[in-house]
Amino acid sequence: MAEFGSFAELVLTRSDERGDKDAFLFLADGVRGKEPERLPYRNLDRAAKDIASWLQERGLAGRQVLLLYPSGLDFVKAFVGCLYAGAVAVPAPLPSEQGQHFRRVSGIVRDARVGAVLTLAEHAPEVEAWLAAEGFSDVACMPTDQGTVGDADAWRDPALGPEHLAFLQYTSGSTSAPKGVMVSHGNLLANEAAIARSTGNTPDTMIGGWLPFYHDMGLIGHILQPLWLGTTSVLIPPVSFLRKPARWLELVSEYGVHASGGPNFAYDLCVRRVTDAQLEGLDLSTWRTACNGAEPVRAETLRAFTERFGPHGFRAETMFPCYGMAETTLLVTGTPKTRGALLREVDAAGLEQGTLTGPFLGAPRRTLVSSGVALAEDFEVRIVDPETLAEQPDGRVGEIWVRGASVASGYWERPEVNAEIFGARIAGQEELGAWLRTGDMGVLGGGELFVTGRLKEMVLINGRNIYPYDVESAVRGLNPAIGAGAVFAVDTGGQEHLVVIHEIRAAAAGDDLKSIATGIQRHIGMEFAVPAGSVLLVRPGTVRRTTSGKIQRTLMRKLFLQGAVTALHSVLDPSVRTLVESAAAEAAGAAGTPATDPAMAPVG
Amino acid sequence: MSVPATDRTANNEHTAHTVESLSSWLADRIALYLKRTPSEISPTVPLAEYGLDSVAALSLCGDIEEDFDLVLEPTVAWDYPTVEALAGHLVEELGEMGGENR
Repeated sequence: MAEFGSFAELVLTRSDERGDKDAFLFLADGVRGKEPERLPYRNLDRAAKDIASWLQERGLAGRQVLLLYPSGLDFVKAFVGCLYAGAVAVPAPLPSEQGQHFRRVSGIVRDARVGAVLTLAEHAPEVEAWLAAEGFSDVACMPTDQGTVGDADAWRDPALGPEHLAFLQYTSGSTSAPKGVMVSHGNLLANEAAIARSTGNTPDTMIGGWLPFYHDMGLIGHILQPLWLGTTSVLIPPVSFLRKPARWLELVSEYGVHASGGPNFAYDLCVRRVTDAQLEGLDLSTWRTACNGAEPVRAETLRAFTERFGPHGFRAETMFPCYGMAETTLLVTGTPKTRGALLREVDAAGLEQGTLTGPFLGAPRRTLVSSGVALAEDFEVRIVDPETLAEQPDGRVGEIWVRGASVASGYWERPEVNAEIFGARIAGQEELGAWLRTGDMGVLGGGELFVTGRLKEMVLINGRNIYPYDVESAVRGLNPAIGAGAVFAVDTGGQEHLVVIHEIRAAAAGDDLKSIATGIQRHIGMEFAVPAGSVLLVRPGTVRRTTSGKIQRTLMRKLFLQGAVTALHSVLDPSVRTLVESAAAEAAGAAGTPATDPAMAPVG
Repeated sequence: MSVPATDRTANNEHTAHTVESLSSWLADRIALYLKRTPSEISPTVPLAEYGLDSVAALSLCGDIEEDFDLVLEPTVAWDYPTVEALAGHLVEELGEMGGENR
């Protein structure tokens, strides 16, 4: 493949080469029996030049431009328009979709110093009202779906190089302190090449899926990978999939999709919700790469999905566990295409001690799923002790550190954080230069990467990054009687569960702790789109803090699992309750004394 | 493992929907999304208490659309927060649909 100076240059070349070939197909509502909206390469190129000319005319080349779109082809045109203009795209979820509010986007506008917002005409009035209310008076709002906005013939090639920024990816950082990963044109070109190498995608690969466009996996995997390859991608909105998961499989079957991915929960949804009747006549045999990343990959899900959909042509080798993040543009490791996912049983106690051993007869074991291998051309991966910063040998758990041409230069305007996260040095190997600290824990064995947990307190559920601080502040805002809280996740073997512990001033709250707890659950379920099956309301002083006042979530999690958190009122998910009861019993057995507080009294 | 669809023919005839029949259908679906058993789902306990989230709420709307041909906004699960309330709302909506068709 020819070398390109920028992703903009690549899209220009693809448009010349491909002309009337479809770049994207979009199905807004349903798949079977529906006619897709088509966007040929030539039309994408023309629309993007139009938008780019407007941005250039407005002096927005080199500035940040916020993209607030629902799922659809207008987003793609605007994104490529930014690339063509030499502007820095900032994709974000359109507020009001799925409980997202303008609060988070306001934080992004401030942090990124956005110069303009591109959106659809139907959303422009509310966007303008929001910009005015927040005092962003110098931020222009432009709807791009009502005919031309500029003059495509007046567009000028910005002559970008690989070092220029292509976009800021705001999936990291809490609502209060959003962090935008600076992805350059060079990073993008490098990672798209890495994805193609790892997956075996070619210009004949049909790509498709339902992932949100503002999320790295959807943007890099389902929109920019097809452009890089010069192929076609067929897309449906996330809501269409969530309402009826069978539509994902229909999409693969009807359009002969070869490559499509999603977080583990999406495969799980298919197993649980696709009915026999919906499967009739579906043929999944074209599917060659089913990327499974962005949250922990579950062996049970891989087995169940392969078993359930095998009779409809789904092959075990198609399942493609992989590992990556916005900070590395997207993909770091992937499963070699010559075989299926590697499952490895290990001794559970050994793993807790940070070593891959066993499995031993009669001892509890855990099944790890390999996230595959890094290709030497693209990435180097090391496991490093997060305290001593010393490299760990094969078979020892530590923090995953990576480097390569896909690794972003850092977060937008965060020099201190960047020095720590993107400029880390391995002790005794300082001469090797800078590494990215991923904050994920893992272990290497025979070149395969097994992700075992997280160093950071961030929680990954339903493909979302949940920041405990965001949940805790939202909960505190519900009722003045609610005090400090600790939010964390526990793993019941098959699933991650959010656990919410908050202090409550019972006198101020009155007797109705039950309805306060339900209100908390309702709020988290709606606003964060994750189940909050377990809420504990505790006496003031129960939530542990450091001397500097920092919430000790890891300690609270440990105490919770030992059954050592006493609640005034609690509601526990049954599987979480079982986990606590068995862990508490084990701890009691080990100590030779009863647990301090034999689990919380189940309520409700 | 297989997921049998509920009997579509029976569901499309809007004659026999009652709060009881729909409550049992709802409890089955909600148990599935939230990885519980249907017997755990009490008709009068707020769904939030079982950990209902917006993905599950969308799932529910999708299944209602699939089985009853009734398109609802995902906010319905928050506006009618228990199985009993939701079943009552569905009976009304389905009744209106049946009426329109006559």
